[in-house]
Amino acid sequence: MTNKAEMLAEASELLFLEAFYLDAQQWDEWLELFTEDCEYWMPAWKDEHEVTEDPQRELSLIYYSGRFGLEDRVWRIRSGQSIASKPLPRTSHAVNNIMVSDLTEDSMTVRSTWQSNCFFHKTNKSEIFYGDYEHKLRKTADGWKICRKYVVLKNDYIPTMLDVYNV
Amino acid sequence: MKPNELKYGDVDRLIIDNVEEGEYLVNRAVFTDEQVFELEMKYIFERNWVFVGLDSELANPNDYFTTFVGRQPVIVMRDANGELAAFINSCPHKGARVGHHRKGNTKQFVCSYHGWTFNTAGECIYIKDQDSGGYAEPFNQLDHGLYKIKFGTYRGFMFASLTDDVPTLEEHLGEAMPLLDLIWDQGPDGVEEIPGRSTYTYDANWKMQLENCIDGYHLTSCHPSFMNVVSRRKAGESDNQQVKSIDFNMLGQVEGGTACMPRGHAVIYSPNAAEHERGLFLHKDELVERCGEAKTKWMLATRNLTIYPNVQFAENASLQMRIIRPISVDKTEMTIVCIGAKGESDAARLIRIRQYEDFFNTSGLATPDDTIAYEDCQFGYQGKELAWSQGYSRGISNVKSSADELTDEIGFDPETSSYGKMTDWDESVFYGGYRAWKKFIKDGLAVDGKD
Repeated sequence: MTNKAEMLAEASELLFLEAFYLDAQQWDEWLELFTEDCEYWMPAWKDEHEVTEDPQRELSLIYYSGRFGLEDRVWRIRSGQSIASKPLPRTSHAVNNIMVSDLTEDSMTVRSTWQSNCFFHKTNKSEIFYGDYEHKLRKTADGWKICRKYVVLKNDYIPTMLDVYNV
Repeated sequence: MKPNELKYGDVDRLIIDNVEEGEYLVNRAVFTDEQVFELEMKYIFERNWVFVGLDSELANPNDYFTTFVGRQPVIVMRDANGELAAFINSCPHKGARVGHHRKGNTKQFVCSYHGWTFNTAGECIYIKDQDSGGYAEPFNQLDHGLYKIKFGTYRGFMFASLTDDVPTLEEHLGEAMPLLDLIWDQGPDGVEEIPGRSTYTYDANWKMQLENCIDGYHLTSCHPSFMNVVSRRKAGESDNQQVKSIDFNMLGQVEGGTACMPRGHAVIYSPNAAEHERGLFLHKDELVERCGEAKTKWMLATRNLTIYPNVQFAENASLQMRIIRPISVDKTEMTIVCIGAKGESDAARLIRIRQYEDFFNTSGLATPDDTIAYEDCQFGYQGKELAWSQGYSRGISNVKSSADELTDEIGFDPETSSYGKMTDWDESVFYGGYRAWKKFIKDGLAVDGKD
């Protein structure tokens, strides 16, 4: 038996924790939230209303079939060798409208909306990015982990750059 | 000279072009002065051929897309009979845009303000309540259709010009045509846009992008994080094996070259020691059979091509098309597109897509470092006491006023060229663009009686 209210609370906690780690730039803790075989996918837009649907035949803004892609990014962020990654913008993520579905004992789908406020130091500009998330969670020996994160970026007219901490 | 002494139209003094004496300097007002920007828009973007897209975007009758030529909104479409044309995206009645979407398919455009209706050949086919309108003869004499602008295609590359007073498209492209052939002929039926283009802006002058694409010198200093991510993958320190990464560390080991063409086009190129990592390599046999050994070699080579003033094709691993749209003297919009051979295998396309996302995306691991560097330069240009940039001197002693053996291989005869070890890092490749820049503006001013 699954308890929807309990699972919603657990899912919410995980999503809030992910937002917290991104904003706190606690990259190791953030990576730990993902399973090694996780899919991380932010599709591109084909037109006003349709996102790309096939990451093997169409472009994505980011597509990784495993956590390794996120690990590459964290390595680059920390390397000090990327002028786009220093100084890192300050970010504040808000995650809302959380709904859970496809509930089993050890898996669920979590849909939500997100907004990320980003302050870029060199220009003293704030940029807002927003969209939808769909997380798939899997229960492991270490608790719930993200085995898929699907990010729709709704305002894809991108000022200068975009990285995993902006969405 | 101080920038505040700049007079309208005084473009000669902004670039010191004295290659014989080994001197080439560009005044930073070229990147910061609003009057210069106005002249560029008027004479380089609005009296010249400007790239608008690949014809794969208009595959079917009544397909259209909306874009800009210079600062002016444009709609490009294929009519019911298959003819391509371009128009100002504005109803002749009161001015409202008639094409509302980035792209679409429609048999007619009904202006949503007063209902005037146009077919996809741009003809006005309906004026609401015309009979009871009490119109007089002068109105009846007007062409009520969409304002048509000059349009042309080379292979599947589509261009438009806001004025008719331009050379033929073939004359405009000139020696860049064989370089465009190296792109188009990668598939037996040409190339196409892969769904999922994206758009970003940066707060710096449009020519920062124009230069960067053919600036080999920045690669190792601007992208060490990307290069080292790739090295980590090769060494097994990263588990990321989903992308066949090109190791740029090997680029400095090979000979390469640059070439400039009239009207501002330019290219840097070098043989690709990692050609086997490219999706295109999977189709090498077919390419050799159809195009020959030499052409195939140059298709697989690293080539970054600028078709002046607004499109670039960057081909190292994947193949990126970048469309540059200047917004203001210090703001630029970039539309970036991954292009690939029509009908290529799933395997080749997958390699292409992963490489493109990794390097070229504005959410990728390399392009953001370029874009931020442009903004850092624009920031630095506020230091007007430092009026002249020194970044045009590298390779000034290597420039030849002729083709060389390698450009001969693909039947390509540039105005100037250079070739040698690490010569594809030469800054002399920018000269052609600035000579064209000067000529476009001066010729335009002369025609307007402002010389």
